[in-house]
Formats: sequence, structure tokens, C-alpha cells
Amino acid sequence: MNDSIRKLDPQRPLDTVQRWMQSVIMHPAGIAAGIDSPAAQGEIDVGSEQVEEVITRSKALTSIERLEVYGNAYCARLLECLRTVYPALANTLGEELFNEFAVGYLQEYPSHSYTLEHLGTHFAKYLDETRPAEEPGDEGPSWPDFLVDLARLEWMVGEVFDGPGAESGPLLDAEQLRDVAPAVWPSARLKTVPCLQLISTRFPLSDFYMAARNKRDSEEGPAPPAPRDSYQAITRINFVVRRFDLSRVQYELLAALIDGETVGEALMCAAKLAECDDEQLAQNLQSWFAAWSSAQFFQAIELPR
Amino acid sequence: MTDAPPRLGYPNLGLGVGLRAQHFPYILEHWPEVDWFEIISENYIDSGGRPRHVLDQLAERYPIVMHGVSMSIGSSDPLNFEYLRKLKKLADEIGARWISDHVCWTGVAGINTHDLLPIPYNEETLAHVVSRIRTVQDVLERRLVLEDPSSYVTFADSTMNEWEFVSRMAEEADCGLLLDVNNVYVSSVNHDFDPVDYVEGVPHERVVQCHLAGHTNCTTHLIDTHDKHVIDPVWDLYRLMHALTGGVSTLLEWDANIPNFPVVHAEVLKARRFMDGLPAEDDLPVEAGEAPTEKTTVPHPIHLVAPEVQ
Repeated sequence: MNDSIRKLDPQRPLDTVQRWMQSVIMHPAGIAAGIDSPAAQGEIDVGSEQVEEVITRSKALTSIERLEVYGNAYCARLLECLRTVYPALANTLGEELFNEFAVGYLQEYPSHSYTLEHLGTHFAKYLDETRPAEEPGDEGPSWPDFLVDLARLEWMVGEVFDGPGAESGPLLDAEQLRDVAPAVWPSARLKTVPCLQLISTRFPLSDFYMAARNKRDSEEGPAPPAPRDSYQAITRINFVVRRFDLSRVQYELLAALIDGETVGEALMCAAKLAECDDEQLAQNLQSWFAAWSSAQFFQAIELPR
Repeated sequence: MTDAPPRLGYPNLGLGVGLRAQHFPYILEHWPEVDWFEIISENYIDSGGRPRHVLDQLAERYPIVMHGVSMSIGSSDPLNFEYLRKLKKLADEIGARWISDHVCWTGVAGINTHDLLPIPYNEETLAHVVSRIRTVQDVLERRLVLEDPSSYVTFADSTMNEWEFVSRMAEEADCGLLLDVNNVYVSSVNHDFDPVDYVEGVPHERVVQCHLAGHTNCTTHLIDTHDKHVIDPVWDLYRLMHALTGGVSTLLEWDANIPNFPVVHAEVLKARRFMDGLPAEDDLPVEAGEAPTEKTTVPHPIHLVAPEVQ
């Protein structure tokens, strides 16, 4: 029997001890503040001076110092995970500011999942919810909008990387598309690959994202771009995430196809936005579909019976 | 003690390495002669991308063992049956030799701290854990293997030491043990006990697997960082464990500052010199110990695969 183990009678229920310990080690202001917090006090009514009644000390460390190992680890571990999920955002904000946002986020949205893959699910939402109030006279997309959009893009990249893909299944190639009879084309439905996602942002993030993501500690980060409505398709080819810049028309067209609209219905959406005549649009469509099929956007085509 | 066969009948797979995403390219190019791989279950049970694709290829060539960090067998929260069913599905699909996790809790009230937190060791918690192991084994349709965690606190409500708890747990729930001798060493320093008592005290026929890893010396305590070579006192415990069990599947974990694959593989191969009758294949020195550090360190697990993007 270890010297530090002694029997107390009655023992506290396991759920009481666990809720107390979790409240203590997750407290953002540290272990002592956690012990004194209403959440912990509601479980076990001990102050910092009496904490040995719950956690025994070792020869070298006090009870609070021992709990600090878990308190420090909770934050450090999950911040490291969020930096892995949001590397461009972390490099853009710098370590101190990113950590400040991340600590606040973890308090508001602690993990409820068995996997760390879900840890950053609500980060963009949290940034949006906690953005500073707009000043009178503010116009157009602002720095908080930029951060929210960057977080949305990074989350989408992660989803596409490890979500369902089309690597093992058949894909539709350009030749198969060319073989479709013009008369049935408007009634056809194109089935997109499950990894294809679209994102619209208030800034052109494509180049910035890669530069910020790959920035080394010793390097100056890229300059944030000026606002401009921008669109990207994010997909996966051979297990690597690929990004394609889109125009607004292309974005709306692909969005309609992903929603299961027929090609004709999707083209109607696109035609309303196109700033060119029908003949030019028809030529554009031919080259777009050729490019998208070579980018493996489509799995199959369903033709009308 | 029971009359269970050695390792509960599970095979001795030899010397394996914990599969980490950083090593995917090397493994797929060189197909190194590794006896077996252990995966972190949570990195693969939902994967529809590259991690699962790589795993499927490896499962065709190597024995695979699934090691989880989120079962939370010691939690007072209900078991997550969706998670358990996913574990079983993956195990069936890749032919996992067994499924392991830790004697710990990871959260309560629906929260996951993603840490391996210790439980008080007493009759109430023993009955609670044993009952949950039986349920898990029914769902998984196989014997569960549970690992002793590294820990940094002990509870006033404990009435028995850890090796008594895990021994009784294994016997009463009829499950296997994953004896992490580095964890035993780390906890022995942190909690002022003799690690030899621990290794001698567990039911050896129930030890299915062993873990080896490096840790960080913070002067007043040790932290299980999985970021260094295995040190001599841990190898001494390994030698003792090997003699007492007759040999079990042995695996090296390296989770931070991860070196190239050959370095990690060479580290676990050092175990050969501690096995009777098996020659060491290299002359690499074992590590006498590590200078204390004062820098902030994070106990593992941290397990997340970064996306590949162009």
C-alpha cells in the first residue's frame, strides 16, 4: 500500500470526484481558481488549503502542483490541435492572439466528441459571435470578416481531406460528357463527387491561404488581400486536397448541380448571372465542364428515361 | 489467479511500432520489416481519406492492433455505444488482432478533455469499471486489453494501489492488460512507489502487450511525453516484465519530435537485448537517462492528422 493512499469513510461518489476534477483542471484561470469556482465548490466544498482532502500530495509536489500538470496539459494539448487544424489562421494572428481566441473558444465550445477531428467544428462561428461591434461608418468587409472566412476555408479543407471521397469509384471523364446527346443534356443530372464542396468568401483567400499556411516562424507573413467576393471549389484528388478558383457564375452553376438540379435548371441559374451572350456562355460551358471533369468533380451522369 | 493461457491466447506479435502519419510516405515506399503496427483508433474509425487508405494497405501486409484514447472506461458518464460499434466495425474490416484502451476517464458531463485521467482506486470504482468492461466486451465480441496510464495525481478516496486495482479488474472482468513499463516508471516517480512491485504484482498471464516510450524529467516529477528514447530504468522494467510474462507483443510509442522511421524502429529493436536467447542486432547504446528540463511539456496523447493540400 502506498503511503499516500489512505481510506476515508465515506468515499465520495465517482461522478462527484470526476465533475470536481474536470471543473478544476479546465478552469482558464488556473487550478486554485478552479478549486474556488462555483462549479467545483458545488461538487466538493474544499478550498485550496484543504485540497489534500481530495488529491493527496507527493513527496515532491503539493496537491495543487500535481493538478497543474493536468490543467496545463488540457490547454496546451487542445491549442496544439487547433493550430494543426487552423495553421493559416494561427500564422496570421500570431501565437499570442491565436491562443487567446482558442482559449476562449474552448471555454465556450469544449469538446463533446470522441475524436479531436471535431474539436474545431465551431471555431469560425465562435469568431463571428465574439467579433467586436461595428463602429458607425464602417463599410464593407472588415478584419473580423477576413478571419471568419479564413477559418471557414481551413475547416472545409480538413473536412474534404478526411471525409468521404471518390478515389475508389468510377469517375465521369470529358469523353463521356461529350457523348451525351444535346437533346437530353438539359434534363440530365450530374452526380458530383462526395468530397466536392464550394465556399464563397468576402476576400480572395486562395493565394493568401497557402502562403500563410506554409509560413515559417522566421518569415514575414503574407499581406492580407483587399476585400473582393471570391469563390472556390474544394475537392480531393488521390487523397490530396485541391482548390479551384471559380467565378460567381461557375459557383452558382456548380452549387445547383450539387443540389441535384438538372443541367438545364443549373444553366438557367448561371445564365441570369452571366455577363455575356448565350453563344459566349455556351462556349464557356464547354471549356468549364471539360476542366471540371478533368478535375474529377463528377462521378456519373443520370440521363432521362 | 486464473489458469488463463499466456496473453489470454492472443499471439506474441514481436516488436512493433506505433503508426504515425509522418511515417506514411516512408512505409509505403520501403515496406520496412516491422513485426506489426499499432494504430490510434480514433484517427481511423471515421476516416474516408488518406489515413484509412494507408491503413488498408498496411493491413494487407502487417498485423494491426487498435489502440484507443476515448473509451473512457472509468468515466461515470454512460458508455458511447456509437463509438464502440465503430471500433468493432473497423476491427472487423482490418482484421485487428485486438483492441486496447486505457484504465482512465477522459471526461464527464458529456465533455471530452482528451486526456487520460486517473480514477480513485477503491471497491466502488472497481465494480464500476469491471461492469463497463464486461459491457464493452459484449459489444466488441472480444476481450478488451487495458493499459495502465501515466498519472500525476492520487486520490484521498483510493483504498488500494494501482497494480492491485488493475489486477483485480483484469481477473474480475476477464480482460487483458497492456503493461506500459514507461508509464509504470513515470507513475512510480510521481507517486513514490517501487515500480518493481508494480511489474511483479500484476497477473502476468493476462499481460497481452507491452508499451515502451520516452518521458521528460521535470526534476520534481516525470511527464509522459513520448518524445525521447527509452531510458535504462525503463529497460530494466522491460527485462523484468519479459522474464515474468515469457514475452509479449512489444510496441514503441513516439508522438512528439518524431524522428525518421528507421530511428523509431531501431529503438524498439533494442528490446532484443533484453530477451533471453535473442541477440541484439545493433550496438546502439541504451539511454542512461535524461537531464532534467524546465520547459513546459505536454503529456500525450495528441493525435491529429494534418491535411495534405495543394
